[in-house]
Amino acid sequence: MPVRTLTAALIVAAVVAAPGAQSMTRPGAPESFRANGQILGAAGGAASAIHIQIDKYTSDADHAALADALKQGGNEAFVAALRKAPKIGSLKVGNRSVAIHWARAQAQGGGRRIAVATAEPVFFAGAGAVDAKPTAGYDVAVAEFTVDSTGLGKGSMAPAAKVKAGGPTGVEIEDYSGKKIELVTVSRNLPGK
Amino acid sequence: MTAMIVVWGVAVGHPSAQGKPRKQTAPETFSARLSVGAQEGRGDAYVTIRVDRYTAPKDIDVMEKALKEGGSAAFVVALKRAPIVGHIEAGNKSFSIRWAREKPSDTGRVISLVVDSPVYFVGGGVPGAKSREGFDTAVVQLTMDSSGLGEGRMAAAAKVKPGGATGVDIEAYDAEPVKLTSVKRQIS
Repeated sequence: MPVRTLTAALIVAAVVAAPGAQSMTRPGAPESFRANGQILGAAGGAASAIHIQIDKYTSDADHAALADALKQGGNEAFVAALRKAPKIGSLKVGNRSVAIHWARAQAQGGGRRIAVATAEPVFFAGAGAVDAKPTAGYDVAVAEFTVDSTGLGKGSMAPAAKVKAGGPTGVEIEDYSGKKIELVTVSRNLPGK
Repeated sequence: MTAMIVVWGVAVGHPSAQGKPRKQTAPETFSARLSVGAQEGRGDAYVTIRVDRYTAPKDIDVMEKALKEGGSAAFVVALKRAPIVGHIEAGNKSFSIRWAREKPSDTGRVISLVVDSPVYFVGGGVPGAKSREGFDTAVVQLTMDSSGLGEGRMAAAAKVKPGGATGVDIEAYDAEPVKLTSVKRQIS
């Protein structure tokens, strides 16, 4: 079972270790980003335009509650808590729009590392295969990307994932497909766009 | 020396010993680019279609009769009993062709192929996607010119039903049409 640890896990883990940490940068929300998602398989590849709207970032208190749910109750408790968290944005692929319930930004170099999570999967990459595995349990989607001071960057996305406690960081994200969707040419939209 | 003969053969359109163009038929192999474009994005894959032989008229008759008399379910049963006449290969997967028919056209040939299982459920990865039940085959149509180049379309998961003007109606699972571009008959 392929398990991938996103850096988003580090953000969660950092707060688990130090709930009062003041390392977060001043939120830039509301803000939006667009990205091109790409995934390659044995027979070919797929590309898609992705739009991420962040109305506000998750507060430290709400974030700590989510991190605690994961730590205490695992994926099920985390998903339940995520669904109860307020909608603070949207992640849109084509005409499918899914609400973002968690978003965090962290200063990195001259730019920021941003991670968002939805409380339902966006899509199951590879699930159209005749012998695709069951989709049950992959109840969230996670995207993570960096942007520099000009608002340009790159990242990755798990469009259907399980979040599990464990691993060296304390949090692991298991993609449904086991393959990373690359977010290339991420760019922050100009205000009003 | 052999290479020169092959090159010469390509340049002049595969003349037979009698100087007439050689008829293109099975066994033959086609390469194609498979593209599907939806609002959610775009996907491309490369497929190889190998037709070892075209289905015998008696086998076609059995399958057509099954379709006419028993509908989709009977057709699938008859299809799976028919001999394998080729394969479609995509990535590391191979699918069996049990119906292969070629018909001459003004510019070349129209080739119809039916696979005994679905190849892919396009759009099946979207949460809440429709049921896959009954989409038990895949259907390919290639339109080839006399030089061995062409285009085509594919119902990557399909129901073959009786009806329509031709007596055969294809219902595709795919939310978006799957196109085959850059179809090329391989030189053997």
